[in-house]
Amino acid sequence: MYHDHVRRDKLTNKTWFLGLLALAFTAAGVVGNVGDSGLAARLAPATAALPGGEGLAGVWVALAVALALTLNVHLLGRLGRGLQIAAVWLEVFSLFLVFFYSFDLSYSFILGKLPFLITQGVVTTLYISAISIAIAFVLAMVGAIARLSDNGFAIAIASFYTSFFRGVPLLIQIYLIYLGIPQLGYVIGAIPAGVAALSLCYGAYMTEIFRAGIMSIPKGQWEAARALGFRPMHTLVLIILPQSLRLIIPPTGNQFIAMLKDSSLVSVIGVWELMFLARTQGRDEFRHLEMLITAAALYWLISIVLEQVQSRLERRLARGHRH
Amino acid sequence: MTLFKSLCLAAAAGALALSAGAAEAGATLDRITQKKEMVVATAANWPPQSFMNKDNQLDGFDVDVAKEIAKRLGATARFITPEWGIITAGNWNGRWDISVGSMTPTTGRTRVLDFPAIYYYTPYVFAVHKASKLDSRAALNGKTIGVEGGTTSEDYINGKLTIDAVGVPAFTADVKPGDIKTYGDSVGPLDDLRLGDGVRLDAIVSALPTIDAAVKRGYPIRAINDKPAYHEPLAIAIDKGDAELNARLAEIVAALKAEGTLKSLSEKWYGIDYTVAK
Repeated sequence: MYHDHVRRDKLTNKTWFLGLLALAFTAAGVVGNVGDSGLAARLAPATAALPGGEGLAGVWVALAVALALTLNVHLLGRLGRGLQIAAVWLEVFSLFLVFFYSFDLSYSFILGKLPFLITQGVVTTLYISAISIAIAFVLAMVGAIARLSDNGFAIAIASFYTSFFRGVPLLIQIYLIYLGIPQLGYVIGAIPAGVAALSLCYGAYMTEIFRAGIMSIPKGQWEAARALGFRPMHTLVLIILPQSLRLIIPPTGNQFIAMLKDSSLVSVIGVWELMFLARTQGRDEFRHLEMLITAAALYWLISIVLEQVQSRLERRLARGHRH
Repeated sequence: MTLFKSLCLAAAAGALALSAGAAEAGATLDRITQKKEMVVATAANWPPQSFMNKDNQLDGFDVDVAKEIAKRLGATARFITPEWGIITAGNWNGRWDISVGSMTPTTGRTRVLDFPAIYYYTPYVFAVHKASKLDSRAALNGKTIGVEGGTTSEDYINGKLTIDAVGVPAFTADVKPGDIKTYGDSVGPLDDLRLGDGVRLDAIVSALPTIDAAVKRGYPIRAINDKPAYHEPLAIAIDKGDAELNARLAEIVAALKAEGTLKSLSEKWYGIDYTVAK
């Protein structure tokens, strides 16, 4: 976004804004019955001293909470940007933790199951996603070149492929491949079926990404290469693709993160990946919430790592275009 | 290659593909005895029938029964865990040999699967929240009732359940619920009922062993004080068309019953003998 150079006073320093915020927080607190929470009990000695007695105690608690929150917003507003981002992140994250803490989870149970969730679940999830994205990459490359070619057969087949596999839910594709292919005489295993479905589906999505990447290279590049005597295939491989990869890689990283999470759908055909284990491990002791939260944390952690890798890659590929 | 030749080849390939679909007589039994391995399809999240234990191994009543059957076929049991719907759909294509998964032999399922033997019966009961005052089936009319989708409990509550297996006592679907909520698995109704009396559900229909296990884990629920809604006969299942395996399995289950092995396994996992419907 554009950084405006005209300085204005910050919103979080203005009295009217802070007043409005405090009012909104108080109203939310009263409607949300903060007066009945554990916090209210702790504040009871203070609220008893205020006028209004029992009836207004809830309002006083809401007001106290609202003032604290407003002060928090005001103080955060005064921080420098780097510190501000870190502080807000930390606050949202601790809210999250408080939310999970309120579930009264058994941490010893989670710790006991964690090694198996990682050695069996995370490993399976990762290797299924990695193989699938590699195949999808090849499919997408072929699909994009076919769609951009002059060949009627190639265009028809490639556009049929992208249309079908983008238009049908991944879960149905998994069932179709797992249950349908054996009807043709070849009994496909659960993991190959899952990998096939994931790569076909994501290959279709990535075909469009690759196509856009190739098309974004100016026509002049093709014409210049042709004028220098390059044949079309050489032009594509040596001149166009290296330039378009800079545009293709970042969204591909995005697709990989998305696939990592969609690989959980493969659990329906009995592959023991992270989601499958999350659903089954806690079942015996009725501790499925623990397992679901652990799986969520694991998926999130892997995604964070991949996001970092992606941003590194992005910076590296963009180095020729820095201003 | 001429066009005619390639057409012939395609037709031959097609015929081969079609013939590979159907199981041949004795094929599954031969495979088990040759490989000395019986591949069993079972659930991994249905305690105490089959679940993952503390050592991350499959364990439970069904798992023990499967191991016992494999032993008598001179093989070892290997377990795989496809989704329930894929097991009940039939057409296994040799992916697994047998399902020891407490399956009810409904009329619909007998079209795609063979059921060599019923090995036990589970009573299904209504359960309510601990704080609930409902205590008879008559009191449940017009209430919101939760069931697991695709199971006999869903058919029962909709008045569509018919069971025509031997040894099952007659039953009537006499509760007329006000609203039915269907869940994807057996924990769904339990989790919504535990939220409180009437919060999302007034009652559920579930297998007594499932409710007992939940109560043991501290769920604030109880079975109503009435006779069971119905008894569900539970059978082992195999793919259609292997009469030899069918006969062999019927023999083995009969022997397990006669020797009391099944009874002791039932008592081990349920604390009660469920091998006869009472």
